[in-house]
Formats: sequence, structure tokens, C-alpha cells
Amino acid sequence: MSSFSPQALRRWQRFKSIKRGYYSAIAISILIVLSLLAELWINNRALMVKYEGAYYFPTYGDILPGETFDLDYKWETNYRALKRQFKSEPNSENWVLMPLIPFSPNENDFIEGEYPPYEPSLASGHYLGTDMSGRDIFARIIYGFRIAIVFSIFLLSVTYIIGIAVGAAMGYFGGAFDLFFQRIIEILSNVPILYIIMIVASIITPNFWTLALLLAGFSWMGMTWYMRTETYRENAREYVQAARALGAGHSRIMFLHILPNSISILVTFFPFSVVGGITALTSLDYLGFGLPPPTPSWGELLQQGTTNLEFQWIWASAVGALSVVLTLVTFVGEAIREAFDPKKYTFYE
Amino acid sequence: MKSYFARRFLLIIPTFLGITVLVFGLTRLVPGGPVERMLAEAQLASESAAPSTDSFGSQSLDEDQIAQLKAYYGFDKPILQSYFEWLWKVLQLDLGESSRYGDPVWDTITDRLPVSIYYGVITMILTYLICIPLGILKALKHGAPFDHMSSAVVFIGYAIPGYVIGIACVAYFAARLEWFPLGGFVSDEFEYMSFTDKVVDLIKHSVLPLAAYMAGSFAVMTFMMKNALMENLAADYVRTATAKGLSFSQAIRKHALRNSLIPLATHFGQNISVILGGSFLIEKIFNIDGIGLLGYEALIERDYPIVMGILVISSMLYLIGNILSDFCVAWADPRIRFGEKR
Repeated sequence: MSSFSPQALRRWQRFKSIKRGYYSAIAISILIVLSLLAELWINNRALMVKYEGAYYFPTYGDILPGETFDLDYKWETNYRALKRQFKSEPNSENWVLMPLIPFSPNENDFIEGEYPPYEPSLASGHYLGTDMSGRDIFARIIYGFRIAIVFSIFLLSVTYIIGIAVGAAMGYFGGAFDLFFQRIIEILSNVPILYIIMIVASIITPNFWTLALLLAGFSWMGMTWYMRTETYRENAREYVQAARALGAGHSRIMFLHILPNSISILVTFFPFSVVGGITALTSLDYLGFGLPPPTPSWGELLQQGTTNLEFQWIWASAVGALSVVLTLVTFVGEAIREAFDPKKYTFYE
Repeated sequence: MKSYFARRFLLIIPTFLGITVLVFGLTRLVPGGPVERMLAEAQLASESAAPSTDSFGSQSLDEDQIAQLKAYYGFDKPILQSYFEWLWKVLQLDLGESSRYGDPVWDTITDRLPVSIYYGVITMILTYLICIPLGILKALKHGAPFDHMSSAVVFIGYAIPGYVIGIACVAYFAARLEWFPLGGFVSDEFEYMSFTDKVVDLIKHSVLPLAAYMAGSFAVMTFMMKNALMENLAADYVRTATAKGLSFSQAIRKHALRNSLIPLATHFGQNISVILGGSFLIEKIFNIDGIGLLGYEALIERDYPIVMGILVISSMLYLIGNILSDFCVAWADPRIRFGEKR
């Protein structure tokens, strides 16, 4: 779209004027961008190494074995150790630039003479502490956020595509097609979906994609009722009849006439679907039917935290992260809803 | 109206059949079915573990159980035939026997149901008791500091899922401050307590789970009440009432309030599904012996008769809940005539 309609512009103005939602949207966008660039600031690989006059950028790409820096091992270089080594060498030209948080989410960091979990501390660099196997919680939360948000956006796209297609077809064709899908939806909305997904997940051990598709398969119904009534209504309007009289086919009427007129309001459902997706993934991970370990996940952190209540930083970090993110997204959703439908009430007192 | 509900009841039949097909289909999803899977697991377990003298060993299944399960799922028969045989048993409320404990599934589930219903009913009552007055207050003070502040609190409770609030509560109020017990429905020594102690014990165990259960539906109800009342306050008939000389508070009480309660009635039946849906997580966190925990444990232990039984029974409850919702709406709002339009 090259230009926005005046209506869309007005909605955008209204959205911007709702400060709580607008700033939440900015905050969540920053979080998403930061999490997508997580490798650059939370990583056990160095950002940059200068060794014997050559520069290395290990962040992305293949691992650099220890031999690259004349260390006596073939596995991946331990850059934190390398940094300490370079520092201890007097007036050496070599240096290592580590990311802000020099740990990987799947890396177990062991402190000598102590067993994990380690408390949050500035000295060790684990600002939120580590989990039961010595993995940095901050790193796991950021990487877990990235997975959760990408997961829920993918889930949302699949559910919307199915929901819109089925709903629009139900409203457009009506009749037996409509009745058939009404029954299907009624069946699916009368079973405990979380439990069904747990059952299937316990049988097939899902990965990222299969879990998203599985969830989508049982949660596309929300959008259909809305699309169905909307298509039903638009279908009876004069412009659709006019298009039909001009000889437009089903697909032309559907995609060029009805959908553009009914779809914009779907934006108001978006943030709530994201919340739903994150919550679903976290619940499944918490119950142990989600993504396989060692995927960084908030649900798995919650699970560790509740089984080890004495290490409070574990559950507190996960609960805190969830609360912040879900509240921000809900604020955005509420503001969008208000921007689309500003209710001005008048009292007569 | 009557014909609508008659049709509604008749439609239970195809929906229920569909649900049974779905549930039955799940057991056929695994190549070889749950029986083969259990056998494989049992074999694996007995190979890795030294032969144990304990005949009730936690991993292995004996011949009897295998035969029983095979007969129960009818894996020796064609799919359609075994489906109808299973369906026939379900219709007679024979859900088979737990592969782990050997008890009839029906009894196991109905034993646990009261605990879940206890939480469900109390949650529902408390939610209505708190949300309706709060919603009214918020509608009347719309835009005032009280409205904004309570909105923020209610909203955060809405954004964070109930079970996460449950985890935070259990970790902070139970584990750290030790104000409440860590979990369970009642204490172990409940049987030997005096009546007042029993009540206190039950309440102590209920506070945190109830908070977690309520967190979700709380916001929805409060805002529903608030929005409905505000819409009605701005409606013409309230203006007419005040114009005719009714005081504002009377106009609210006698006119606006009644109509504002209708949307809450639509929500009534959904309470059943909320209870069942949230219970897997919350019952697990608080270790409450309801059907949610039963279902979770059955799944972990691959006790498929119980899993299927819970699916069938909770789906039935969902169905009833949805119809109950419609009844409530029709009862609360005589303007609504189901089935006469459309």
C-alpha cells in the first residue's frame, strides 16, 4: 500500500494519543529487535578478537577451534578464558571484545568449588543468576523471549489464514458448507484443547514447527465466527451485488471486494493473539509438553523454579519476564482497540 | 423458543459423536496405538532395570493388563467396529479400567470431581460478588483516579495468566513467608481435626488457588459489567427516566443495572470450561487432587483409559455449560428470541 486511507491515519493518530499503549508498543518493539540481535550482546562467542595482527569476528558463522589462537584444543574457543589470558600477558597487542553478557543460553558455566544454581551477582556476571544446571538465566530469558515471540507470530499467521479462509467461505457460500463447519467448530470448541494438545505432544514429541501447527489446528476457530458474520453482511450489500452483476467471479468478489472491507478490524485481535500464543507455549513448556530441551524457554524456567522454590531468583525471573511482556502487549492491544472504536459516553445526571 | 432449545439438545448428539471420534482418533494416532507404546516402554524399563521383586513395579505391565488394554481399544478388530464397541461402552458410562490402578475410570473421575467443582463454584461466586460491585463503581467513576488505578491492577491480572500468578503466590506467600500451606486440598491430618480446625485448614489451603483461578475471569467480568452499565447509562431510556424526574441513582438501580447484568449471564456457562481449562496448570501447581491433576498424571503415566475418560467427561461438561449459557441469556433477557431470526 503506497498511501494510507484517511481512516487508517485517524486511527493511528488516536493510537498515538493513548500514551500507555503507544509507549508499550515502542518498548515491545525495542525488545523484539534486541532479542533478534541477541547474538550480538548475549553470547559466549566474542564480538571481535585481535590476535597476532589479524581480526576475527566469531559471532556468526562457523566455530573457530581453539587452535586458531594457538590454544591446545580443537573444540570451540573459550573466549572468556582467552580474554583473561590476553589480559594477563604483559603489554600484549592481542585483545578480545566480549558481548555485554558473555554467556550463551545453552552453556553451563561452572564456578570452581560451588554447585549451581548460582545466585544473581555482579561479580560472576550472572545478573539474574543461573538455573539448576548453571545456565545464565538472563540469556535464557532473552533467547526464550525470541522463541516465544517468533512462535506466537507464526502461530497467529497460521490461525488467521485458516480462520479467515474458513470463516469467509462459511459466510459466502452458506448452506451445507456453513452447517458442516459449524459442527466442526462446535466439536473443537467443546473439547479441552490444552489437554488434547498435551496428549498429541506426549505421543509425537513436537519441534517448533509441529507444535505451532498442532496448536493452530486446534485454535483457528476464534476468527471464523467473526469473519463469517462479516462476510455474510458484506455479501448482501449493493456493491457486492453490483460486482456480481458485472460478472465478477467468486474469488474476485471475495478477495477484491469483501476481504478488504472486513479485514482491517482484525488488527484489534492481533496483540491478544500474541498474548495467547506466548501463554500457550509457556504453559506447554511448563507442563513438559512443549519444545524439547535444551530450548531456552520461560515455561521450563517456571518449572525449574517451582520445583526448587528455595532458589527464588529462578521463578522470580521467569514470572517477572512474563508479567512485563504480557502486560506490555495487552496495553498495546487495549490501545489499538480503543483507537478503532472510541466510545464516548454521555451521561445525563 | 422451545423449538430452538429442542434443536439445541438434538444437536448435542452429532457434536458428542464428533467428540468421541476425535477422542478415539487420538488413540489411533500412534502407530500401533498406546498398547504397543506401553509394551515398548515396559520392555525398555525392564531391560534397563534389574528384575525387581516388586510385582507392582512402577514401569512394567503384566500380561493381564496388556490383554485388557488390547481388548479395551479393540486393536484386533477393524477400526469402525472397535469404535462402535467403545462408543457403546461409553454410552453405558463404562469407561474401562485404569491401566495403572485397575479401578474403574468412571469412579476414579467422579471421586476427584467434587474437588474441582468446589474450586469452580467458589471461584464463580466470589468473582460475581466482587466484579459486579467493582464494575458498577468503575462505571460511575469513569475517568476518575479510582477508575484508572483499579483498571491498571485488574488489567495486569488479566494480562498475566492465572497459573503464573499462582506460581508467584505459592513461591512468595507459601514458600517464603509461610503464611499458607504449599499445596494440597487439605492437610494430611485433616481427618483428626475438630470442625473449626477443619474449616480453617480448608480456607488456608484455598486462598492461593482461588486467587489464581479468579485472576483470569476477574478482569473480563469487571470490564463487561462496567462497559454494559456505561452503555446503558448513555441509552435513551435512562435519559427518559431521568427526564421524567427519576433521580440518577434510582435510574441506575431500577433501569440501567438490570439490563447491564445480561452480558454477565452469557458468561455463566463458560465458568465450567474456565474451571476445567485452567485446572491442569493450577491443580498441578497447588497439588490439588482434582480432575486436572488426575488428567495430567494419567498422561504422564500413559494411563490412556483415564485420559480418554477425562476427555469424554469434560467435553460433556463443556457442552452442558454452553447450553446453560444460552438458557441464562434467554432467562435474563426476554428480548432475546433464539432461533426465530436467522
